[in-house]
Amino acid sequence: MKATTVKSTIIVIVFLLFHNSIDAQVINWENISKQNMHLLHVDVGAEYGIIAGVGYHHLIPIKRFPLWIGGEFSVPSGSQLADDDFKVRLGAQIRIVALNHFQFSARLQGIARRYHNQSVRLFNFGSDLAGTVGYYRKNWFLGAESGFDKAIVTNFKHSEWYKKNIYDNVQDGWYEPATGGNFYYGLQGGFSMKKVDLTLKVGKVLQQDFKSQPLLPFYGQFGVNFRF
Amino acid sequence: MKRSFRIYLAILILSLISFSCSKERYIDGPGNLVPKTVDQDVTLPSISVNGARLHSEVFGPEDSTLIICIHGGPGGDYRYMLNCKTLATKGYRVVFYDQRGAGLSQRFPKSWYKSQGSDAINKIFYDELRSVIAHYKTSTSQKVILLGQSWGAMLATGYSGKYPTDVDGLIVAEPGGLKWDDVVDYVSESRSFKLWGETLNDATYIDQFMTGKEDQHEILDYKAGLIGSTNEIVGDVGADLGNNAPSYVASRSGAVVNAASYELGQDTKPDFSTGINQFSKKVLFIYSSNNKAYPDSWATKISSAYTNKEIFKAQGVGHSGMLDQVNFWTTTMEPKIISYIQSL
Repeated sequence: MKATTVKSTIIVIVFLLFHNSIDAQVINWENISKQNMHLLHVDVGAEYGIIAGVGYHHLIPIKRFPLWIGGEFSVPSGSQLADDDFKVRLGAQIRIVALNHFQFSARLQGIARRYHNQSVRLFNFGSDLAGTVGYYRKNWFLGAESGFDKAIVTNFKHSEWYKKNIYDNVQDGWYEPATGGNFYYGLQGGFSMKKVDLTLKVGKVLQQDFKSQPLLPFYGQFGVNFRF
Repeated sequence: MKRSFRIYLAILILSLISFSCSKERYIDGPGNLVPKTVDQDVTLPSISVNGARLHSEVFGPEDSTLIICIHGGPGGDYRYMLNCKTLATKGYRVVFYDQRGAGLSQRFPKSWYKSQGSDAINKIFYDELRSVIAHYKTSTSQKVILLGQSWGAMLATGYSGKYPTDVDGLIVAEPGGLKWDDVVDYVSESRSFKLWGETLNDATYIDQFMTGKEDQHEILDYKAGLIGSTNEIVGDVGADLGNNAPSYVASRSGAVVNAASYELGQDTKPDFSTGINQFSKKVLFIYSSNNKAYPDSWATKISSAYTNKEIFKAQGVGHSGMLDQVNFWTTTMEPKIISYIQSL
């Protein structure tokens, strides 16, 4: 990996870790208050596999542009949980427009994710940019979202098994420009109670050529938010 | 607060842009993640037949009985069959070739396969096999034995049904199915991975790290290879070639030919048993004890298409194990095959 890439990666990590950007949490924008500025959430669903996640967000009550900052950690199912796949998202969601009960929000996330199997260990830095428009009431909400998940730079480290059985001259290291990208679009909604939101989102995933599909061409997530 | 947010956003955008300032290494660069094909590396052994450059090797006396090894897939390669080359030391002429778009053979766009229309299987695979045989055959009297495994066994069966007088012996190792519905059933059964399992997760989770367009062969082949090397359901544990392994390690899946073939199959519903009842010579039908998707009942059903046959159950190995496990090959499979050929 070249020095500029290392530097860029460090900048992004430092930015994400210490300055609280970004996440993919489903939020009822009509039901936020300064009394409940913390949001803990758990979710299960399908997103490039069967996954389970947990996250935390903190409300920055900018007057007309409330901002949630925080992070989320998720792992896919499988027999190996230790030393295997995971995804960390750090970022922010901000409400940009509020017109009566219709609201538009944007989300920007930095992603760090890992993939491991018998052949290779991949580590990727990526980004996720999405927008959501929806109708929000105190007790329920329904919206549509669309976004783009980009795998910006990926490190490949192949196993001895791969080199012995598949390809002995495989090139390990950092690969760029971007190694992948997927568009997604779908619906999200939920019910809100005093301190708890029950949320659901479903949608479709398309590769960046708008023709090919990933092996699991849809996503879905059931989540519970606890506000305090 | 708003000002500091803008500053952070600018830093993030600048840092993302600066990724593009460093030296680029592409995932679709030839030789980076998957080995080069014969049209990219002229040092690889190859032949030009039927409009394609194929990765191919041959061992043994030039004029002796030809044994044509036909690999699985579609989209596999012949590397796992290389234990069979010891037959060359027993006096046979053993031919290996990677099918068009598979292994280290030349790649073609998906549109090319789809453009072959309703006669695609014939044009893509039977014509190619006929050309390979013609390339290596030194006389009209030279005998030809086909040895196919999995998809290769289906192809060998279809070819023998189409040209029954051109084939002197047929060895089929676990053809998934011969009629299209059986093929679909077998593929479903052999890939019925647990929803929560590691295998299925390994196949789906990678799609957020790498994406490839329809004809980006390097990317698609790499991803196909990552998920296709072992399969507990069919009992495959990875090839053990012993001293039969070549000096270089270069195995590569053919993702595009695999996807195109399956789509063509869905469109045309081919029947690989067509004409096989005209093939009167004895067929050696092999299946394995460790393939959970190939129980005795399935072997009985699929082998019923062959009128004259010897059925052999390979004990203690899986779908590819009868050929890719050197110990089993040496002690059991090679003697069985030689005995079969001598009985013809």
